[in-house]
Amino acid sequence: MSWDSFVWFALGAVLLWAAGAFFAWKERRALVYVCTLAGIAVFFAFILGMWISLERPPLRTMGETRLWYSFFLPVAGIIVYSRWRYKWILSFSTLLAIVFICVNLFKPEIHSKSLMPALQSPWFAPHVIVYMFSYALLGAATVMAVYMLIRKDKTTEKEINLTDNLVYVGLAFLTFGMLFGALWAKEAWGSYWSWDPKETWAAATWLCYLVYLHLRKARPGEWKTACILLLVCFVCLQICWWGINYLPSARGLSIHTYNMK
Amino acid sequence: MWVKPWTMKEGFLIGGGLLVTGLLLQWVLGPVEWSLLAWPVNLILLVLLVLVIGVMYALRRKVYTFEWMMHGSAAVTCLSYAAALAILMGLIPQVRGEGVPWLSQMLRFWPFVLIWTWMMLISALAALNHLLRWKVKEIPFLLNHLGVFIAVVSATLGNADIRKLQMTAFTGEPEWRALDELGMVHEPGLAIELHQFTMEEYPDHTPKRFASDITVYTEDGKSVRGTVEVNKPLKVNGWKIYQYGYDSFRGAESTYSVFQLVRDPWIFWVYLGIFLMIAGALCLLFFMAPKPVKV
Repeated sequence: MSWDSFVWFALGAVLLWAAGAFFAWKERRALVYVCTLAGIAVFFAFILGMWISLERPPLRTMGETRLWYSFFLPVAGIIVYSRWRYKWILSFSTLLAIVFICVNLFKPEIHSKSLMPALQSPWFAPHVIVYMFSYALLGAATVMAVYMLIRKDKTTEKEINLTDNLVYVGLAFLTFGMLFGALWAKEAWGSYWSWDPKETWAAATWLCYLVYLHLRKARPGEWKTACILLLVCFVCLQICWWGINYLPSARGLSIHTYNMK
Repeated sequence: MWVKPWTMKEGFLIGGGLLVTGLLLQWVLGPVEWSLLAWPVNLILLVLLVLVIGVMYALRRKVYTFEWMMHGSAAVTCLSYAAALAILMGLIPQVRGEGVPWLSQMLRFWPFVLIWTWMMLISALAALNHLLRWKVKEIPFLLNHLGVFIAVVSATLGNADIRKLQMTAFTGEPEWRALDELGMVHEPGLAIELHQFTMEEYPDHTPKRFASDITVYTEDGKSVRGTVEVNKPLKVNGWKIYQYGYDSFRGAESTYSVFQLVRDPWIFWVYLGIFLMIAGALCLLFFMAPKPVKV
């Protein structure tokens, strides 16, 4: 499997996901599951193929993490759909997955075989995969926040509860990612936390989501403030994921650089 | 304002008060000197901290502030300050050394330390409250708050006791001296003999794997043979030995290997906190968010 065949797998997966999203609007539930899961299987087949041919998990470069992100969006989408039956959720997750697939097609970045020794660890896959899954869920929570802020007083309890649950699960995975990272760092570098720019932003993001969680518990009525807070949280998350590459405070300092030259 | 029950307004004011106090401390005392916390000072501080938490909890009915600290509004406001300071730290380049601007060393910035101390007090009181009013459905709450308290407090107090040394061993010559970060020579009480350094490269000559076959001799007469490579440290007598570097000009032909020796007596407690937090996060998955009240 090579990166050249990505376009075909991506096309197949996107068509299946789009079909799933279409059937969600038509309320044909069985077809929703069949199409979406088939699309997920096709996409995962590519990831697996890359994994085998690269002789390492495809998790190192920015492009490879985007691969997982596009994979987890429909996964998160179908989980939310099966629990809350939102007709639009699969359209949204498909659209976002397409965006990330397009970025990978038009700006693939480096996909070389080499994996520096520091990344050769059993912690590597869980650390990154857990983070990507969390990013997908928290992305969905952000969209819910925007949606509720636009609809204002038409917002229902069910929508607020869905957002809370997305954040709960997303935050749990964010915590796993951070703590797995700490345990790994101790084995690789000798210290579990060094306030490297990426770690600082991970802490800032984690703290912001904790503010949301506590605010929801302490002041359930102030859900609009909580929605605005979710937007702040998401900005932090994006800075942590890729924004720090453009921040003067972090440039060239982070040990979390994906693209080794 | 200051009418019971206190709200987030009071919380933000208390946080602001801590910031001002911190700024004054920074101005008078200069940046926080973490090395002063070395054993046994950190133990004394830990005992004091636990006592303070116990007294606060015992007096919660008499002193309203202590009771309020267990409320959500205390947590929200304190976390907001902590998040804001973390964002500031992420935006301002952090540097080492002395005489640098205050915000360029956030970890030595008194307001940062005071806010985190406040946060740990709140977390401990909340955990204690749930521990003493034991309910099965509150287990996730307990795990999260106790876990974060144990992890952060032991990581912070234990930091001054961490020893990091660098040892360069040449093939066939046992080495017992090591250098600290300032270049001072230390004898960590163990010697490393390098038998062989091996290295594999990718076709583009970036390193694929490098490892050192070594024997470690300890002062108490043990000798341990093993291989040290990146991500696979060797543990001997409380020291963890990491593969750190080699002669990068000679690459696979390197005649020496550089090791990092790390000793962290508080690591058990940090790990305990981390595992409690992982268990707490797992619970978050299963217990899910509470149903919201009517909008």
